[in-house]
Amino acid sequence: MGTSITTWDNVSAYFTFADNPLALMLFSLGVAGIVVGLIRFIMKHEKEAFENHK
Amino acid sequence: MATETPTLESLQASLDAQQAIFNMHQAMNVEVFYWWCTAIMVMIHAGFLAYEMGASRSKNALAAGVKNILALAVIIPTFYLFGWWIYNAFPGGIIPAEAASALPWSQSMGPDVQDMGTGIFWAAFALFGATTGSIMSGAVIERIRVSAFLILTVILGSGVWILAGAWGWHPDGWMLTELGYHDVGASGVVHAIAGFFTLGVLINLGPRVGKFINGVPQQIRAHNLPMTLIGLMMIIFGFFGFLGGCIIFNGGETGWTTIYNNPTNLSAFAFNTLMGFAGGVIGCYIATRDPFWTMSGGLVGIISVAAGLDLYDPGLAFIIATCVSFIAVGAAKLLEKKGIDDAVGAVAVHGVTGVVAVILVGVFAGGTPNVGGNPAISLYGQTVCAIVMAVLGFVPGYFVSYLLKKFNMLRVPENVEVLGLDEVEILTHPYPETVPAKSSAPTNVGDLEAKGA
Repeated sequence: MGTSITTWDNVSAYFTFADNPLALMLFSLGVAGIVVGLIRFIMKHEKEAFENHK
Repeated sequence: MATETPTLESLQASLDAQQAIFNMHQAMNVEVFYWWCTAIMVMIHAGFLAYEMGASRSKNALAAGVKNILALAVIIPTFYLFGWWIYNAFPGGIIPAEAASALPWSQSMGPDVQDMGTGIFWAAFALFGATTGSIMSGAVIERIRVSAFLILTVILGSGVWILAGAWGWHPDGWMLTELGYHDVGASGVVHAIAGFFTLGVLINLGPRVGKFINGVPQQIRAHNLPMTLIGLMMIIFGFFGFLGGCIIFNGGETGWTTIYNNPTNLSAFAFNTLMGFAGGVIGCYIATRDPFWTMSGGLVGIISVAAGLDLYDPGLAFIIATCVSFIAVGAAKLLEKKGIDDAVGAVAVHGVTGVVAVILVGVFAGGTPNVGGNPAISLYGQTVCAIVMAVLGFVPGYFVSYLLKKFNMLRVPENVEVLGLDEVEILTHPYPETVPAKSSAPTNVGDLEAKGA
């Protein structure tokens, strides 16, 4: 699952789901989600840490 | 044994094969060059890490380091998501042009085995973006929330600077095509942008607790000045990757050009990078005799000549760097007098120096022709572009940090700042054994005997 080629002959852009724009868009959303999630995670950690030291 | 007489066709086929091999090797050389430029640029971040950890008080040393590491980690994916697209879509101004191949779901934004350029150029630009984001990092240490810093650094490192890059550092950028802008080493598009963005943030962030007593600025000492000095030297090392990445390695008959397509080479860059570095160190030493500023002078010197790195006489570069050092030191003092707490002088070192550097190209290289029918370099064009850079940096920095401040998301609470971020947020200490070791260390023979030694 995931590969779009069966041979390396004349291969150009070869990477997972390279022939499926929808999948690539979802991966991009995943990247954005991880970055946003990191910042939200840090915000939550900060809130708890600051409350513990009131 | 009979040998086959070569025909014109067979000779042509052999020549074509040789040419194809040569072209492939040229493309590989381009890849190799930017690969190593990118690797060397990582040293800038190692330098910023050491620089800021040393410049912090020990209670905030690890928080400063973690902030730096995360900045690098968030700028790279966000530059992948939208930074590269901004560079390709906005050279004309604020209306985006077609740049679908730079969108993250494009096939060219992946391991395309036929494309030996996109990935490696993207990598170099991503590291330029990370450097830009990290410039703000040192100025805001010891009181900014990590979450707020990451939001700001993404906006700066993956958004604002690359918009400036599209305008002034792209072969079709409107600053070049309409005003003849010249900024080969990114004094404006990286340093002025980052410095003035930082100024906007600092205005809203406010000074560290204890920095000003009754309006009088106090010296908050770095807890490890030697680490800071080494960090600065590592940044200088990384600058060679940065400035190398500012040159276009075309290969073939064209050889090296600047990003504006005029001819240059690494040899030209080498003269002025080193002469600028030396002049900056000397100028800042004379102006302050302070170790921190003496080493920061190396940055000031390189940034002050970076915009015209391909054009200056080395002696002129040295003199410019020395003189601009006095301006940078003066600007830092002025900002402090105005109540701005810039812990590492980033606004002066990067912002003020960057703007001055752009204008000086108009002074010392005005009239130099551009290629491709673009206007010649002029003092007017450079001055207008320098103002654009300062405004483009300042406005988003100020307004985004203003919004974060309004929602109480910008700064850590005062009691946390007093306790130190390592204690509260990082939950570990940079030098955990220092205090007990010191308090239990025997100080005289009596102590030693009492401890059974």
